[in-house]
Amino acid sequence: MSTVLRQHAEQQFAEELEALKSQDKAHRPTNWELSPQAVVKYLMGGKLDNGFEITPKYIGNQRLMEIAVATLTTDRALLLYGIPGTAKSWVSEHITAAVTGDSTMLIQGTAGTSEEAIRYGWNYAKLLAEGPTEGALVETPMMRAMKNGKIARIEELTRIPSDVQDTLLTVLSEKAMPIPELNTEIQAVGGFNIIATANNRDKGVNELSSALKRRFNTVILPVPATAKEEINIVQSRVSSSIKALGLPAAEPTLKEIQRVVSIFRELRNGVTEDGRTKIKTPTSTVSTAEAISVVNNGLSLAAHFGDGTLNAHDIASGLIGAIVKDPVQDATVWNEYLEVIVKPRKEWSDIYRACKELSF
Amino acid sequence: MSVHILGIRHHGVGSAKQVQKELERLQPDLILVEGPPEVSELFKMVDQKTFKPPLALLVYNTMDPKQSSFYPFASYSPEWVTINYGQQNNVEVRAMDLPAAASFLMQKKKEEELLKKLEENELEDVLEEEPKAPITDPLGYLAKAAGYSNSEEWWDQQFEQNSGSSEEHFEAVMYAMEALREEGIPSTMEAENEIREAYMRNIIREAKNEMHHTIAIVCGAWHGPALKDDFSDSKKDNKILKTVPKRKLKISATWIPWTNSRLSYASGYGAGITSPGWYEHQWKTKKDVEISWLTKVANTYRKKDIDMSTAHIMEAYKLAVALATLRGHSFVNKQTLDEAVLSVMCMGDEIKMELIKEKLVLAEKIGEVPDSVPKVPLQEDFEKWVKKFRLKLNTLAKEVKLDLRKENDLNKSIFFHRLELLEVPWAKKTHATSKGTFKELWLLDWEPEIMVKIIEHAYLGNSIETATQSKVIEDGKQINEISNAASLLKACIPAELFKAIEFILDRINELSAISSDVKDLMSALPQLVDLSRYGNVRKSDLTVLSNIVDNLLIKVYINLPNACYQLDEENSNKMFKLILDVNNAVRIYQDKELTAQWYQALHKVMQSSGVHAIIRGCTCRLLSDAQFLTQEVTEKEISTNLSVGNPPQEVASWIEGFLRGNASILIYDNHLWNLLYTWVGSLAKDIFIEMLPMLRRAFSQFEPEDRLQIGQKAKRGLVTSDAFTDNNEDSDFDTERASQILPVLSELMGI
Repeated sequence: MSTVLRQHAEQQFAEELEALKSQDKAHRPTNWELSPQAVVKYLMGGKLDNGFEITPKYIGNQRLMEIAVATLTTDRALLLYGIPGTAKSWVSEHITAAVTGDSTMLIQGTAGTSEEAIRYGWNYAKLLAEGPTEGALVETPMMRAMKNGKIARIEELTRIPSDVQDTLLTVLSEKAMPIPELNTEIQAVGGFNIIATANNRDKGVNELSSALKRRFNTVILPVPATAKEEINIVQSRVSSSIKALGLPAAEPTLKEIQRVVSIFRELRNGVTEDGRTKIKTPTSTVSTAEAISVVNNGLSLAAHFGDGTLNAHDIASGLIGAIVKDPVQDATVWNEYLEVIVKPRKEWSDIYRACKELSF
Repeated sequence: MSVHILGIRHHGVGSAKQVQKELERLQPDLILVEGPPEVSELFKMVDQKTFKPPLALLVYNTMDPKQSSFYPFASYSPEWVTINYGQQNNVEVRAMDLPAAASFLMQKKKEEELLKKLEENELEDVLEEEPKAPITDPLGYLAKAAGYSNSEEWWDQQFEQNSGSSEEHFEAVMYAMEALREEGIPSTMEAENEIREAYMRNIIREAKNEMHHTIAIVCGAWHGPALKDDFSDSKKDNKILKTVPKRKLKISATWIPWTNSRLSYASGYGAGITSPGWYEHQWKTKKDVEISWLTKVANTYRKKDIDMSTAHIMEAYKLAVALATLRGHSFVNKQTLDEAVLSVMCMGDEIKMELIKEKLVLAEKIGEVPDSVPKVPLQEDFEKWVKKFRLKLNTLAKEVKLDLRKENDLNKSIFFHRLELLEVPWAKKTHATSKGTFKELWLLDWEPEIMVKIIEHAYLGNSIETATQSKVIEDGKQINEISNAASLLKACIPAELFKAIEFILDRINELSAISSDVKDLMSALPQLVDLSRYGNVRKSDLTVLSNIVDNLLIKVYINLPNACYQLDEENSNKMFKLILDVNNAVRIYQDKELTAQWYQALHKVMQSSGVHAIIRGCTCRLLSDAQFLTQEVTEKEISTNLSVGNPPQEVASWIEGFLRGNASILIYDNHLWNLLYTWVGSLAKDIFIEMLPMLRRAFSQFEPEDRLQIGQKAKRGLVTSDAFTDNNEDSDFDTERASQILPVLSELMGI
């Protein structure tokens, strides 16, 4: 077993990708490792003809994944949009892994992302010594993806300043990147495309220009529609991280996950699951991703400081940390929720007591 | 002779195209179409030029038009295509299904049985019986087997889109349905289908005996296999049909205009078409259906100033094709197109899609039927008037302004008022913005069901006037409260229904004799007095009404003191309003004797101790206004009621009753002003604070300017006697000039 903390998707699921490839008879676009149908299969999971089981990577509407994959077969780029924690980056990584077998060509968008991070940079020592030569050029993931016909991923596109965003225009429309210093250009090889993710909450921070918008097909990833779906997501992600982290803990019971998920759903939707009581919602985005990390967190507590099985005390601290992001506003929301909703539920008394002990 | 069965999906565009092709290939000399035999005659009327879908066949029980069913057709309905083919090629098209008469009778029998059960058993027993095992759509099995999420999609993929030979198409449909029926998969309405299919076979047998060379049968695909086999076994069918009621029932049928939105409602009268606009586009567009649809989408956005380039159309099309390929579809279906539009044109924003849904997918539209179509007399009369007034039956709401001084507009107003009474919800009266009683504003909003309402009312009479008349009389018989009768009477007058007016007057007379509910009498009075004063303007004879009003007033006078006795706050408030209303009515009525009696009754109320302070205050004020009480008595009354001995609550209510609605008395009557001013000044601080909310409530009813004036007056404090004289002897007053006007004034006023 490797000592890497987190393997890339294509490494972790190498076996599945291999199995899919061997069974895949449909047409593959240029430089694709799998056919679009097989990519969707990889994302949604299912049984192959030879009985091999593919685990689902995205739990939700298959049609969305179909739109995403179909987009990559056209010459438009893909923009995954949604509130934080709706598996945008996760989907982007897995699509890339399935399509090109290499999900490493990644540009993290930040307020400080510069044009050099997207186009190319210079090795200044060499630049000074040799002048502008190809050897002095520092390639970006974007450039490498273009050269090799792979998919480049841009995380948090809307956090990148607008003027830098617009460097993507030429790449997306001309499929080329000019290097005026060398009087040359890089032309993208077939199979090249971009998957960007952006955040609903940051809407308006650096709104995409309409020229750029036009070059993206947008897929909005929603929060899980039903509790069942969400429980399913948390469960599968938690059990895979137990394996990855090598935690000496038992898999959490379904009951425990259900409880965490329903706390998250109730706080997110502002109403109890039975629809009878209205609740205030906290300022934090109580997403599925947070629910997963609460359970993971609890598991590691249970493994190292507890008896190895997840109990209410292990969950409580993570829960409060995930929900109370603003010490004043969220604390009142949380306390109200505890007293009004959690307390009267008899079977939840353990979690109520555990949270009460940690309350402030 | 050959018989061909064309199994279709109702309102399926693909089916329609195939039916057209197949009919052209077969050249049949008789066509049978699913539908009750009563409508066969109506098929012969269809003319492509004057009949504009969406339309519906309305079939109803002549004696009881409420019992009715609709058969909607869009331009792309295979049945509509068939009817048109028949008309154009002079081929007889015959309806083939269970007669509507039989269906209605069966339906009635079912209802009666249910009622009987309800009477015999507990309600719960009946309800428990109802939910049977849910019957899934039989096509769902095939769809599932083929890996589709629902049967619609499967059918689209399998049959609607393939443009191969029509002969093969119908063979394939038949084959699929046979496979399903052989498996014994139940469909919805299984029992009903058995009877219907037996009847259909009978009709086919008859047709076969008529020596036609080619017979084409256009029916729902599901029925196909049942109509195909053993045409000879009529015994079995007759056995099935034994249960069908044989009683004769007079059935009428007609064509009526329908709308696209009605087509799209899944239940009720709708045909369950989710996207009529899309289907029509598919039907009308011969090639590049998807691209031209996307162009339409882009144009719709452009009209709303949302930028949409040609590149957007291209990209959306590319994505749609890529999606269809990915899903293994051989063509781009509506859902895929929608998804492409959402992703490429709308940035994933569902709200923008709503616009397309409304403008393009639903594409609201109303059909047209020529005048030659037979109609119920009432409907004919209605349409005659509509035409005469040059109105249009539009689904988009439209405002109509009427000036009652013009004869045509007055007639329109009468017509609308009658429709309102008939409960035909087409014209709704809204408030005219300009003042004056001669202007009326009406909002016209047509829906196809409104025609059904009219037909439903056909039994009431043959013209709008007589039907409304008999409806009002029928309603009048049910009324037990005078106030309701008065409202009905009030509604009848602008509708000029003289017979009905007479009847209601009789009814009111009758009711007033037996009624003892003073409140009901009191709420009826103002309306009746209004009518007795102004009704004559409308040329109706209402002399009887004054007699009724006289009687009612006397009844009120006698019962009022008792009715005011011991009421709680809420009821006192209601009574307070009623007293004010009646007081106004009495003043308008201008009968000296009756007015005097009214004040006496009020005086009685004022003096009784068990009456709520708000009513006593109010009566005191009314009597003082009418100068029934002298100023001295009024002042005494005020100071008694405001004296410190009374509980503060009561005092406040009294003031509220006294002052409500009229500030002028405080501004102009200085005696009263001084009384109140001193009273407020004398209040202890805590009592003042306690009373403040109630006082505030009393004053809040006044107009802002009045409140301002009162405030300014309060600032000056008590009005001294100097100020009194000041007002009366204005130094600038020119007596001579003033007296010059007097003769003119007296002439004007007829003194």
